[in-house]
Amino acid sequence: MSAEVVIETRSLTKVYRDFWGRRKVEALKALDLDVRRGEIFGLLGPNGSGKTTTIKLILGLLFPTNGEALVFGRPAGDVEKNARIGYLPEESYLYRFLNAEETLDFYARLFRLPRAVRRQRVYDLIEQVGLQRAKRRQLREYSKGMTRRIGLAQALINDPELLLLDEPTTGLDPIGIREMKDLILHLRDQGKTILMCSHRLDDVQDVCDRIAILHQGELKELGRVDSLLKVRDMTEIRATGLSEEAKEEIRQVIARHGAQLLSCDNPTATLEELFVKIIRESEEHPGRRVRGVA
Amino acid sequence: MVLETFHAVNFAEWIGPAAKVWLIAVVALLVGFALLRWLFAVLRQGPAAGTLSALNFLWAAAADLLLISPRRTLALAGLTIKESMRRRVVIVFAVFLILVAFAGWFLDPGSNQPARLYLSFVLTTTSYLVLLLAVFLSALSLPADIRNHTIHTVVTKPVRPSEIVLGRVLGFAAVGTVLLGLMAAISYVFVLRGLDHKHDFSAAAREQLAVMWRDARRNDSTQGIAVSTDRVQNHRHTVFFDPAQETVDEQGVRRGAIRTDTENGHEHEIQYVVPAEGEVQFVCSPPENHLLARVPIYGKLRFKDRAGKDADKGVNVGDEWTYRSYIQGGSLAAAIWTFENLRDDQFPDGLPVEMTLGVFRTHKGDIEKGVPGSLSVRNPATGDEAHVRTFASREFQTDLQVIPLEFQTGDGRTINLFRDMVADGKLEVWLRCVAPQQYFGAGQADLYLRARDASFALNFVKGFAGIWLQMVMITGFGVLFSTFLSGPIAILATGGALLGGLFSDFLYQLSQHKVFGGGPIEAMIRLVTQQNVVTELPPTAQTTVAKMLDKAAEQWMWLIWHMLPDFRVLSFSDHVAYGFDISWGLLAMAVCQTLAYVGPAFVLGYVFLKSRELAQ
Ligand SMILES: Nc1ncnc2c1ncn2[C@@H]1O[C@H](COP(=O)(O)OP(=O)(O)O)[C@@H](O)[C@H]1O
Ligand SMILES: [Mg+2]
Repeated sequence: MSAEVVIETRSLTKVYRDFWGRRKVEALKALDLDVRRGEIFGLLGPNGSGKTTTIKLILGLLFPTNGEALVFGRPAGDVEKNARIGYLPEESYLYRFLNAEETLDFYARLFRLPRAVRRQRVYDLIEQVGLQRAKRRQLREYSKGMTRRIGLAQALINDPELLLLDEPTTGLDPIGIREMKDLILHLRDQGKTILMCSHRLDDVQDVCDRIAILHQGELKELGRVDSLLKVRDMTEIRATGLSEEAKEEIRQVIARHGAQLLSCDNPTATLEELFVKIIRESEEHPGRRVRGVA
Repeated sequence: MVLETFHAVNFAEWIGPAAKVWLIAVVALLVGFALLRWLFAVLRQGPAAGTLSALNFLWAAAADLLLISPRRTLALAGLTIKESMRRRVVIVFAVFLILVAFAGWFLDPGSNQPARLYLSFVLTTTSYLVLLLAVFLSALSLPADIRNHTIHTVVTKPVRPSEIVLGRVLGFAAVGTVLLGLMAAISYVFVLRGLDHKHDFSAAAREQLAVMWRDARRNDSTQGIAVSTDRVQNHRHTVFFDPAQETVDEQGVRRGAIRTDTENGHEHEIQYVVPAEGEVQFVCSPPENHLLARVPIYGKLRFKDRAGKDADKGVNVGDEWTYRSYIQGGSLAAAIWTFENLRDDQFPDGLPVEMTLGVFRTHKGDIEKGVPGSLSVRNPATGDEAHVRTFASREFQTDLQVIPLEFQTGDGRTINLFRDMVADGKLEVWLRCVAPQQYFGAGQADLYLRARDASFALNFVKGFAGIWLQMVMITGFGVLFSTFLSGPIAILATGGALLGGLFSDFLYQLSQHKVFGGGPIEAMIRLVTQQNVVTELPPTAQTTVAKMLDKAAEQWMWLIWHMLPDFRVLSFSDHVAYGFDISWGLLAMAVCQTLAYVGPAFVLGYVFLKSRELAQ
């Protein structure tokens, strides 16, 4: 992994104040982070732990109470860095009186894109997020998931090097979640850097290379997901086609080595896996179908 | 005619000093703001870091203001236009259409000055509607964007805050332009159609016309016969015959010979056809000369008092507006206008003197007849004076007296106007009141030379351009306030600026302690305790406090009065309604005033938006 730092925060601190300047919430306390080029970095934490605050500080939407955030080596308040950034807000705050095409066209005009490229990109992105059929409808008529998709499309309109995704999977159906995760991985494979935050552990676990765990504005844990999650004193064996006798033999081998067998069972698929499989099959073979009743 | 004399102001003379005052104010504002910003930064971050942060801010501001991208600004303006359409701008247009549709019921084309009435109505209606719309649109847009967080997805693109502010101003201006354009077109048609009418002749009048026509053919004289049209829109005309002016076209239609007198501010032409057999057919034209754009040449006004001595002012007759001064009849008192730079090639048909006089009667006299006045010219170099004629004044009606290029005085002298009376381009016109114990009132702009007429249609467009400038001004204020206030508060502030601008006179008088009943607090006490506005309040401690607070309030009002634009400079409604040309200089002045406010409003709005934590 290249060592180039894309986002850097130095003792970044944010205290929300009320109208009279009195301290209300200490939302972020002296955060030090590096996000490197080409990685997917996850901010993980319960609601209200300061994830959104961090992202807004990095974008310059909030001014830090203390410390600073640098993006591409420039201060967060700098406008020009935005040409290389894509941002998906926590909720898609878009103009409800525009339709999908107008929305993307408007955002595209804010970048230096030739007309033909702009047209093409709007078209491609609408297709990519699966809104072709709804592209002429005003966003006020969109469902939450559709809004999320168009929000993602506007974040990608400038083909950014760095993506900041605030809770990218909320509001999406399981298929959408899976697609979103696949897309994030795909973008990483194209060489983009991604900073995402989430309170959903599975999301973060599935896609992130490195994570930071925040709680009440403080950094609690930072590191590579695989090494953080590796349980070093346990071994997992997965096999298929084993007979009962073979299983019994394995149990004996374990016992012989003085180790303790914790479980030996048929695995259950996750509901997510089941759901995604059914929907995918149904899309391939439309029609009514009832599987075995339990 | 009570137009202020400001339309006589010379743009070339005005712009220099005005620009100087403006520059001083703007520089003071900028320096003051920069100092404040620096002070805050130093207080918060200490001297070194604070100074650095303030310098950074200035640097970024310079970049943001100088490197504005037209592409992004236009995209934001486009968004603003779409938003305005969603906010149902169309409703305002519908309200306008309804008002115009029903206006026919309460606007009386048979009134004394129907053109003035119709023009005032359309100009006032459009300006109030458009200005109100401008207040709401401009003040609500940005706060809504911030409240809905939609601004987050915009400012995280490479968009400068300056572009957001400018895009807003341009977008609203575009919406207003289209709306005003449509309203102007409809208004124009409405006025023309509302005033349109034709007269017919009774059978007897027709016969008389025919006799008159035959007489005129024979001996060029139509004396003794007065023919009247029928009564339409509450008036009738008397017909004049001048066969010398007659032209005939291929269809045999004869034009130019028969005209009517001026009634209710217009006249008609009567065309006619003489068939081989049967009666002569007379056809009345639509009203003419009722929609004017006169280009006046103003003179300098001075007075002589009743003893014939020089006086700054005439007599004040009491509760009349002080703009006019009065001269006593039957005395040596005179009102004298001195005109400069007159050339004979400007006036091939004589010197058209147009005046609108106030008449103050100390006794009724002959109420049917006008108070007689006398008109003279005087050579300012030689002091030679020649009496032109005596005329019957028409109170507050505009009257045209043409001084011929050559005329005979009462004592038999023949005067050649330009040779004998004009010295070095200068000429004095003397006005006296002949009737003893009656008074004429006149102000500087009440008597002028009507050199030529400009196009009314163009003047109408210029009038709407004035409304357009007011709208742009209000949009600037609205967008400025919306960068740091919430929607409803921004509306109040913008509406306040609008009212202050419209009633800037009253604000000035309040601040100068010239309004009866004292300042706001004192007036409040009077309201609550139901006291009359002229009696002194009892000298209690309460009164003293109230007066002290009022003193402070007056200082503020004085300051605000100085900072608010004077909307009357941008309002040309009276010019259009009263039929005076809006000079290009006046228009240029209005444009400069608008830019002088909208420019700084834009910069200030930018600074506020830039300093603001948008996600807070
Ligand atoms: N605009 C605000 N004003 C005051 N407090 C806020 C504001 N935004 C967020 N907070 C507080 O800051 C803390 C962190 O919020 P946030 O960053 O949104 O959390 P997360 O995104 O992790 O759910 C919370 O306690 C929240 O209530
Ligand atoms: Mg959040």
